[in-house]
Order: sequence, then structure tokens, then C-alpha cells
Amino acid sequence: MKKTGSAILTLITGLTFALILATVPQESAAAEKQRKDMVLKGDANCTRCHDESEEVPVLAIGKTKHGTVADGRTPSCASCHGESDTHANKPADAKERPKPTRVFNRKGNTPPEVQSQACLTCHQGDPQRIHWKSSMHSSQDVACTSCHKVHTGHDAVRDKVTQPQVCFTCHKDKRVQVNKPSRHPVLEGKVSCSDCHNTHGNNPKQMVKASVVETCYTCHLEKRGPFVHNHQPVTEDCGICHNPHGSTIANLLKSRPPFLCQDCHGTTGHRNQAAGVPTGRISATSSTGNNTAGRGCLNCHTNIHGSNSTQNSATVGRFRR
Amino acid sequence: MIKSIAPSFRLTALAAALMLAFGPACADDAEVAALTTPDSSVSVGIGNWSKDRPQQGVYDGMRDSDTYGLFDFDIRKRDNATGTWLGLKARNLGLDNREIKGEWLRQGDIGGSIEYSRIVRDAPYTVNTGLQGIGTTTQTVGNVTPGAGRNVQLGTQRDRITATFVKHFGTNLKLNASFRNEEKEGTRHYGRGGSAEFLVEPVDSTTRLLETTLSYTSDKLQLSGGYFGSSYSTNVRLITSAGTIANGGSTTFFSSQPLDNMAHELFLNGGYNFSATTRGTFKLSYSVATQNERLPTADVPGLPAAGAPAYLDGKLETTLVEFGLTAKPLPKLSVLANLRYRDFSDKTPVQQFVFGGTPMFYTPFSYRNTVGKLEGTYRLNGGYSVLGGIEYNAQDRTTPTPAGVIRVPFVRQLDNASYRAQIRKSMSETVNGTLAYVHEDRKGKGYFASGEVEENLIHPLHIADRKRDKVRGMLDWLPTEKLNLQFAVESSTDKYGNGPNGNPLGIQKGTGSLFSADASYQIREDWQLRGWISQDQSQADEITIGNGGGTQRKVNMLRETGTSFGIGLNGKVSDKMKIGGDIEQFRNINKYNQTLSGGATQTAGTITTPDITSTLMKIKLFATYAMRKNTELRFDLVHEKWSTDDWTWNMFPTTGVTPWAYGSTTDGTTVIASPKQESTFVGVRLKYKF
Repeated sequence: MKKTGSAILTLITGLTFALILATVPQESAAAEKQRKDMVLKGDANCTRCHDESEEVPVLAIGKTKHGTVADGRTPSCASCHGESDTHANKPADAKERPKPTRVFNRKGNTPPEVQSQACLTCHQGDPQRIHWKSSMHSSQDVACTSCHKVHTGHDAVRDKVTQPQVCFTCHKDKRVQVNKPSRHPVLEGKVSCSDCHNTHGNNPKQMVKASVVETCYTCHLEKRGPFVHNHQPVTEDCGICHNPHGSTIANLLKSRPPFLCQDCHGTTGHRNQAAGVPTGRISATSSTGNNTAGRGCLNCHTNIHGSNSTQNSATVGRFRR
Repeated sequence: MIKSIAPSFRLTALAAALMLAFGPACADDAEVAALTTPDSSVSVGIGNWSKDRPQQGVYDGMRDSDTYGLFDFDIRKRDNATGTWLGLKARNLGLDNREIKGEWLRQGDIGGSIEYSRIVRDAPYTVNTGLQGIGTTTQTVGNVTPGAGRNVQLGTQRDRITATFVKHFGTNLKLNASFRNEEKEGTRHYGRGGSAEFLVEPVDSTTRLLETTLSYTSDKLQLSGGYFGSSYSTNVRLITSAGTIANGGSTTFFSSQPLDNMAHELFLNGGYNFSATTRGTFKLSYSVATQNERLPTADVPGLPAAGAPAYLDGKLETTLVEFGLTAKPLPKLSVLANLRYRDFSDKTPVQQFVFGGTPMFYTPFSYRNTVGKLEGTYRLNGGYSVLGGIEYNAQDRTTPTPAGVIRVPFVRQLDNASYRAQIRKSMSETVNGTLAYVHEDRKGKGYFASGEVEENLIHPLHIADRKRDKVRGMLDWLPTEKLNLQFAVESSTDKYGNGPNGNPLGIQKGTGSLFSADASYQIREDWQLRGWISQDQSQADEITIGNGGGTQRKVNMLRETGTSFGIGLNGKVSDKMKIGGDIEQFRNINKYNQTLSGGATQTAGTITTPDITSTLMKIKLFATYAMRKNTELRFDLVHEKWSTDDWTWNMFPTTGVTPWAYGSTTDGTTVIASPKQESTFVGVRLKYKF
């Protein structure tokens, strides 16, 4: 009986103690929960309301470089969104909760340049972004977050497989061109838009290098020459003859030989011939009828980007050797 | 006994209290950790294409009807205490175009990566030929009856290794370095050059790129300077081809190839924030590219003329100087000013290489561009803004010397003025858009006639006087929370003048247009429907001289019309299952209308060029089933259908279309491009996330 009574007493005492302990710390935990940062320094002020159930989930920033708090440069919520005091603490006389100081979408009335400036605070010194403010995208009110998603572990525009789909959001013509028969391996994720274009820069046509030819040389260096016999347009701009985004004509040509070639060339002899597909085999030693089918003019003028031959013959200057 | 009970009681009570107090918090921590820890995944599977797909499989490593292993992974780990990342990512490990990348980074301090990637390109046709020595630099043309040769598949592969390094020195200085080595091998469709005879270009080259950048960043000043070097080296310097075809009395041909070259560039970029709204920038760079290889044909007895140089001593210098300023002189006015000077100067010595007949010299081409740009944006109420801008590009083009070395007309000066006006609506929850108008005026000065009388009638398309008008509009409309509509319209017209010397021939007019509409609709929380349609059109009107010269003319009207659409649906069937699919079709029609006048005639043995219609349809379906929280099974079904009547590799005898064959009695090489291709892919993958 004594044991039983003692046990009951102990149980009651214990439960009472547990209840008190459980109740008091639970309030403390709730308070702690309010104060505790989840990802970034000082984010408790935001994450007390914002979590993964948001329209735009916020916690996934923890999966990214922006969520690596061991790096002293890692921003806080306020670094990008501003202190947003009235948003965090709605004024009593406000009918609706004011929006944060900076909102990174079109619904927040934050001008695109202000949105981008929040990113430039840290990223302006990156070699590719120094000239952002004079870039075409900047002048077209494209903000960084128009393309980049910060609160996600997978920013589609930074993945070469998914990047083109982001670019196609505005560049509709390119969506079609990359599906043409002659193209770069964009759909396969082997060449991405940013391999050729620095969208953060102000080079002509937003190229990664200072000119079109220098950009193309990063993969097609054999075209740089100089050659013993130069083909003038090759030295100036690959885009004179090629459409790099895709074409129905082999080798990304803008137009089919002989039409393309005759836009510059045409004199007495075979260069004036009409385009035509052969009705039968044509002598290999004749230029007649060999300017359209197959490789067109390039059936013979095979070194069209330049020739290094020193043969003592005029044919070498016409890119045939 | 009491002693034995007491500790038990205390622990039990404490445990209950702790569980009540901290249990939920621990669960929260685990949930937060899962939501904030970098994702990793491994995907293993198998897939099969039912038929060969030469056109669609050019780059994806799955050209042939076969079964392929599908193996990808993406492992990303981060030590939160030190901010150290370790990544290992691989894609297409079971395919020819595989790639794998390893990365280590102590964020904000030091890091590096190394990546291997292969790009394959399989030519979309099969060659039937008697050519011997394919893949080597010594080839022999063999005559075969068309179709009686051996089938050859041409293609190249690039094996690329890229290494990067980054190191931060304090908070202001950062060093970046990257190095890329690419080995390119394979075979490429080529020509013997003497006439229309089939030859194969062997490819065996190495490209190397090295870039190092030291960056300094402070609140006001950013500087970035460094070195960029590039080099190309090849093991294919000359292709010698022999054969029985006589051409000019010679049966051996020597086809020169691009030779080793390299370039070194020094650059410095910078920006300075004069105030919160005013920023100045600059770019400086200087590069030298050289090509000093011994010219292989110089060592072929009897080929070069006596006295022809054996080295080109090629040297290209490029200088870039640029200054820019962006400012907001008024709260609602933003201005941008930029001045750019780029001098591409060919310093290669002008040497004579051909002495017989028409003398031929090295022909340097140099371009000096000075570009000024001024642009202003004024913000109006209601999210509207207007933009106006002008850009003037003055290009000095060095006149080739000595006279007579060029074959088409040239201009010494080419100026292009561009004017832009635009109105934009942004920052609206429902309607945003832009409407822009651009006018360009290009004019050449200092006309320089070529040595060819008839070619002097042509204004080459890239230097012809041109007036360009372009309109571009975009509208992004959210009529409801669930529906998003997007429209894009573009139209451009190029009108070409008669050239700087009244040249009447060449391209006359070019037009282009695009209409595109996109829609996405949120049917339910987990179901989305999307669709798009595009129509594009381009045309070029040309007048060129007829085959007989004189007043004979060819009037070409080249048209390309594309009609494409896509529709897709994806959604959640249950908590464990998602499904989706897309149907896309791309259709192009090319028309080659050529009218002959003034007595011009169709080339003997040919017919006028027929229209070409190409259609690609893709149906992609998928389903994923979550076997566990972190394990997913994915099924893919892809059906492709490609058809074309492209006549590039065809002949048109009265008996019906046949593969085009080289030569009338010799060579006999044919190229077989399959006009209809249809194939189905079925794949299954298991994806594990952790």
C-alpha cells in the first residue's frame, strides 16, 4: 500500500512537474521559434510568416550559394528586400499590409533598375557584369530576377539544359530556329545561349567577346587564319553568311548557294549561271550545273573560309585548293 | 526501492517534459534542414529508339536504332560549418555525348572545378563512295557506279576538358582562371577543289583557351583585368588526293588546310560609381594573333612559283577602347552614353604568292569602327516609359592593295545610323508590354571597283546601302489569376539602294515577320495547360546577272515561311503520380522563285529549283511515380516524325528523283539523305534523391 501510494504520489508529482516543465518551455520554444533564424542571419523576422507554403517558397535559398552562411558575404533577407519595417509590422492604420521595400517581381511596384541594383550591390564587380547598366537587357527594363530565380536550388537559367527555355520566354523566334535542321546542339544542352551571349554585358549583339568573329573563334578557331588567301566577309562577320540560331540550309547558311554567293559574285562564265538542280549526272570537270545541288558552289570552292595554298595558280585565290 | 524509483521517476518526468517541450521543434528542424540542404540525385535507366534517326540524332548520341543506358547524377554536398561545397555532376554517361564535372569550393575563399564533355556530330546522311584513304591526308578518288561504292558515315567529336580556379584575397580581390583543352577528331564532307569531286577532310586538331582575370571590387570602383590566350593546332596541314580524273592535266591535287595559329590578349575593364545614379565604365584591350607556320604547299616540288614565300608571317592586331556613362539627371530620366573604338588591323606583310596569269598577293582586310551611342528613358506615370536612342557606327575599311586583288566592289567607309523609339508599360499586375520602332540607314562611301567589269554591277549584300525599318511589339497579359497570355509581333523591311556607284544588281529588298502567341492556364492547383503558336516569314528579292552576261538578268524571290505550334499539359494524378506531355510541330516551306529575263537561260542539264517543305513533329509523354518520398520512377515516351523533300542531294531525271551523284562518268559518289524518318523512344529511369 505504501509502495502503491508512493508510486501514485510520485506519478502525480512527476506529471505535475512534467506538465509545468512542458508548459513553460513550450511557451519559451514558441518564443524561441519566433526568434530563431532558419537559414539566413536575421531571417526570423521574415520566416515567422514566410515558409515553404508561400506562393514563392523562400526556404530553398538555403540550398544555394546565397544560403551558405559560413561565407561572410552571404546576404540577409533585408540585404535584398530592404528592411521592410512596415511590411513586417503592419501599421495600425493600414488597410493592407504594405509590401516589402523591394519586391522582385512585377507586382511589387519596385522598378526593374532598383531590383537589379540590389543584386549589383554584390555582383557589380564580376567581370561579366561590370557593364550591366549599359546592356541591352538593362535598358529594356529586364531585371536580374526576370531570368534568375534566387529562392530555388535549381536556377533554370544557370543550367545549360534548361537555359534556352528561359531565353525563349522573350526571344520567340529563337525557339523555332533551334529546331531547324541545321543548328547548334542547343536542344541537347551542349551549347547554351550564354556560350555565345553575355546577357549582362554591352558588347555588340551581347556577344561574350568583343565581336561576332571573336566569339565564334572560341569554338571555331580554325577560321581565324589569317590565310594566304582571305575571303573578306570571313574576316569581318560570320553572320554575313551564317545564321547561328538555326537554318533550313546546311551549315547554318542564311541562304542557299548559288543565291547567297551571287549576292556578291557574278561575272562572265559559270558564276552567272542560274540555280538549278540536275536532271542527271554532270561532268565533274565542268562547273556547269554544279552550283546548286550537293554543296552548291562549295562543291568546288571548298576552302571558302580561306586558303593557305601557295600553288602558282589563280584557282587557289578562289578557295579551291 | 525508493532509491531505485527516484531516478527512474526523474528521468521519465524529464523525458516527458522534454518530449512535450522540444519534440515539435526537433521535427521542425529536420523539416527545415531538408528544405535548406542542397539536393542530390542519381538517375539510372534504359531507353530504346525504335528506328534510326539520322536527322534528329545528329548531336544527341542516339542516332541509331538501339538500346541506350541512361545514367545521370548530380551530387552536391555542403559543409555548413565551413561553407565548403563538393559537387559531382554527370549527364548522359551511357551515351556518346557524355559529360562529367567535379567541383570543390570553399565559398568566398578558394575553389576549382574540372569538367569533361564530349560533343558529337554525326552527319545526317550516308555517303556511298569509292574514295580511298578516308580519314587520312592521302586519298585516292575511285570511280564507282553510283550506289556501288561502300557506305561511309561522316562525323566529328569534340572531347573537351575545362578546368577553373577561383581565389579570393580578402574582400576586394578575386582571381579567376580557366583553361580549356579540346581535341577534335573525325571526318567532314569536303571537295577536291579542282572540280566537283568528293573528298573527305580529316579532322585532328587541338584548341586551347586560357583566361585569367584579377578583379578588384569596392563600393565605388570595380576593375577587372587579365589575359586571354587561344591557340589552334592541327595534324592535318595538307590533303593530297590522286585519281584518274584529269583536270588541267593534273591528277594530283593539294588541298591546303587551316594552320596553327594563336592569339594573346590583355584586357582591363572597369566601372566607377560617381554617385548612386551616375556610373562610368571603360574597356581596354589589345590582342595579337599570329599564324607563322611553314606553308605545306611550299614543299611540294613544282607547285609554288619560284620566289613564292614559304611563310605568311600573319599578324592581326586588335585594339579596343570604350567609355560609357549611365546617369539619372532627373528623377524620371535615365540616360546612357557610350563611345566605342575598335581597330582590327591586319599587319600581315603583303607578299606575292601567285605569279602566273593574274598575279595574286596577300590581301589584308582591316576595319576601324567608331561607335557612339546615346539613349534616354523617361518614366511616365502608370508604369509607362518612353525610350529614344541613336547609335552611329562609322567604319573605316582599309583599301586592299595592290589594286585589282579584289573581285567584288568595296567601300572605304561604311556608316550606319540607327534610331530607336519605344514605349513600354511595366510593373503592372495585368498588362505589360512594349512597342519599339527602329530605323537604320547604312551608307557606303569611297567606292572601290573590283577588277571584274560585270561584278562591278553588284552591290554586295553586306556593304550595300540599306534602309532598315523594324517594329517589335510584345504584350504580356494576365486577364485572370489563372490565365497568362503573351503575344509577340515583329516586322522588318530592308530596302537596298543601288550601291555607292549606282550598281543595280544584288539584293534589292528583304523582309521578315514574326507572330507568336503563348498561353498558359492553371486548370487546378496541380494541373497546367500551355500552348504556343508561331508564324515567321522571311523573303529576299535579288536581281543578278544572267548566264550570258550583258543585259541578261535573273530575278530571284526567295521565301521562307515557318509555322510552328506546341501544346502541353502536366499535372498530378495522385500524391504519388504525375503525368505530362507536349506535342510540337515545326514546318518550314522554302520557295526559290527564279525568273530569267533578257535572254538568260536555264543551265543545261538542270531544272528550276523546286520548293522545299520540311516538317518535324515531336510528341513527348512522361509519367513519374513516387515509390518512396525520395525515390521516383519515370517513364518517357517520345515519338518523332521528320519529313522533307529537300533536293540538296537529289537529281531529277524524268524517271524520278534519285540520289545526286558526283561526275558524269567518274567519281560516282552519291549521298543518301533519308527524306522521311520516324522513330519512337521508350525509356524508364529510377531516380533517387538524397
